[in-house]
Amino acid sequence: MARALSPEEVGARLRARFGDAVEVTEQHGHAVATVPTDAYHDVARFLRDEPDLACVYCDFTGAVDFGDDGIEVVTHLFSIEHHHNVRIKVRLPHQDPSLATLSDLFSTCDWHERETMEMFGIRFEGHPQPVKLLLPEPFEGHPLRKDFALMTREAKPWPGAVEGEEEEDE
Amino acid sequence: MGVITERTPLAKVQPVKFLLNWGRRYSLWVMNFGLACCAIEFIAASTAKNDFIRLGVIPFAHGPRQADLLVVAGTLTDKMAPALKRVYDQMPDPKYVISFGSCSNCGGPYWDSYSVTKGVDQIVPIDVYVPGCPPRPEALLHGIVRLQEKIKDEDIQEKFTSGTSAVS
Repeated sequence: MARALSPEEVGARLRARFGDAVEVTEQHGHAVATVPTDAYHDVARFLRDEPDLACVYCDFTGAVDFGDDGIEVVTHLFSIEHHHNVRIKVRLPHQDPSLATLSDLFSTCDWHERETMEMFGIRFEGHPQPVKLLLPEPFEGHPLRKDFALMTREAKPWPGAVEGEEEEDE
Repeated sequence: MGVITERTPLAKVQPVKFLLNWGRRYSLWVMNFGLACCAIEFIAASTAKNDFIRLGVIPFAHGPRQADLLVVAGTLTDKMAPALKRVYDQMPDPKYVISFGSCSNCGGPYWDSYSVTKGVDQIVPIDVYVPGCPPRPEALLHGIVRLQEKIKDEDIQEKFTSGTSAVS
């Protein structure tokens, strides 16, 4: 009985299992679960193994740098059987961020986590091959972090305007 | 080009030099080092409408060891740079390089990127730069003609004894 669950139904199931630790909202018709660091792996496992959730496919794992507010890891899961999407978000501190790997649950996570690792400097505990994926081996730093200095921009500042800033200047 | 050594001043003789350079500039086996969208424009330049074979540029050399001309078309990253150097080193002299498109000229839209090499000329010597993002096939044809003009006036003996294939 394949049926796509609404974000509310996904939220109800997650709250029933994990309590108030998990906060579920709706975004673009998808359920977005904001979870604490230590529940991340359990939530992913629950979403994968529960028959009416059955999120067996991990679309991507990435991260967003929020500056002083830390780094947010985003993992997108999809149910091939039921056609619903669930995103899991975890907020990590800027200093020495680490998170449990999902590569034991989803094989696709392996490369995505390696990319997130090199780009943001997040350590994925238990990852089978924690080495760089895309960057050359001698590369230093984590280029997608906001505090990463682009050497070219040190010499010549960005000539354009950040979206929204232009109107304020006028 | 074993005959062209310091011991044979023959290449200095004007008709010989003319004939030699005429032959060289109209039989350029080209290696397409295609890295991004510019490579598509390169392919367009090789097909029926623009057809650079009529200019004596022969596409699809079997490998860098059979090629006279290297066209670097696209965004070169720092990770890819050693591969470009290796391809260039494998090519036999006399060899020429066309830098095709803004990315390979100077980094183009990726001028501030953490991963892109800002200018292929940091890795290999460039003979002709073709600007554009991406340049039209006609721009490549123009670049090829400019390269051929350069080869026409070249003193091959000088080129070989100078120890570098870069000509200014």
